[in-house]
Amino acid sequence: MTIGEKFTSAFIAENRWQLYLKGLGITIEIAFFAAILGLILGTVLALMKLSTHRNGKPGVMHYIATAYVDIIRGTPSVLQLLIMWFIVMKSSNNGVLVASLSFGLNSAAYVSEIVRAGILAVDKGQMEAGRSLGLTKGMTMRYIVLPQAMKNIIPPMGNEFITLLKETAIVGYVSLNDLTRAANLIQSRTYEAFMPLIGAAVIYFVVIKALTLVLGVVERRLRRSDNR
Amino acid sequence: MITVKNIVKDFKNMDGSVNHVLRGIDYTVEQGQKIVIVGPSGGGKSTFLRCLNLLETPTSGDIIFDGENITDPKTDINKVRQRMGMVFQTFNLFNNLTVMENLTLAPVKLKIMKEEEAKEKALNLLKRVNLEEKADVYPSSLSGGQKQRIAIVRSLCMNPEVMLFDEPTSALDPEMVGEVLDVMKQLADDGMTMVVVTHEMGFAREVGTKVLFMADGIIMEENTPDKFFTEPQTPRLKEFLSKVL
Repeated sequence: MTIGEKFTSAFIAENRWQLYLKGLGITIEIAFFAAILGLILGTVLALMKLSTHRNGKPGVMHYIATAYVDIIRGTPSVLQLLIMWFIVMKSSNNGVLVASLSFGLNSAAYVSEIVRAGILAVDKGQMEAGRSLGLTKGMTMRYIVLPQAMKNIIPPMGNEFITLLKETAIVGYVSLNDLTRAANLIQSRTYEAFMPLIGAAVIYFVVIKALTLVLGVVERRLRRSDNR
Repeated sequence: MITVKNIVKDFKNMDGSVNHVLRGIDYTVEQGQKIVIVGPSGGGKSTFLRCLNLLETPTSGDIIFDGENITDPKTDINKVRQRMGMVFQTFNLFNNLTVMENLTLAPVKLKIMKEEEAKEKALNLLKRVNLEEKADVYPSSLSGGQKQRIAIVRSLCMNPEVMLFDEPTSALDPEMVGEVLDVMKQLADDGMTMVVVTHEMGFAREVGTKVLFMADGIIMEENTPDKFFTEPQTPRLKEFLSKVL
């Protein structure tokens, strides 16, 4: 086969390009919902980890969150996905939902460490000043500390989103036809590895490059308020 | 107005040993008094001041503010802090907010004033410290002296009954110390009750009702400013004064 024929058989014949597109759709869908869940749950976990009693000692919440993060980080995400699919949500046949949930719960553990570090990097005088005015801990966190922590959080968070997007490539394990599996299927149909696999790689790369550019813009915009 | 009874504060070191920062302090600050606290670093001055609004929780002892024991866990400390202003060595203006937002955040969010009312008050106070043209800038564009004057104004926006100053001029370039001390003197002349930890002996002599010498976690000596500087009693104070004057 010539290169042109290989290309045709991998992408054009039988409207195969639609398979990549559908696969990409599923990849992005899972990553998107997982990112949102990870962001929300991760922030909650970070606040739990930082919570203290009145006497300054860590509370029950701290230990719950720490245990969660330890367990999630201590087990492979493929295994977490399989457990979610075959055990926890056995009765569900909505693969995208199960995968989003699994990756979201996984990402939350990493996000929580990013958020926690971002909060700790804010000068503790900011919290003290808020408290000295009579603002509650929650109010000071919301109006003063978290907005400043955002600047520390955005760059590593971008990293986490990118990792998450690529990690969804394992959903083939639970029979979801994401981008990687689409390429895999076409390879097994055409007995040709090069075009579908490299093609999928290029698509991942383009999407992630676009995401990086967007994150760069957000980061610069947040920094601008520093020197006004 | 504020009475402290036998305040003790211990800090645990990393190696498990205990650092006795405050070793039993009794004192009463009366309404309208300007108490100036001086002493060597590590003597417990700042810790004592930070105990007054419970930024540090004393290991034992009681603090009575306006008849209320604020060390009692049942006391709503946020309500108490609304009535006690605090000014920090490092200013601690909210970096993510403009000057005006810095001043109005607490009164508005705590529903003490309507936004319009808070803005008007803030603007009036800014005029008093000659910084009204800075209302809409962010703290990062201000000099240290400007930041500290605004930090004072931020506390004043809450109409506090007492103001605590934790070395307010120690982080400033020398040429900016005067402008901050002037604002504090103005405040003293208006009758504000003040507790000031400082190294500015001139300020202590001029403004203080009483000057306290704190070292080794106790109030070693207390006197009127005149006598404090001219007739020191303890050898420690004599030594201290010979070094700083």
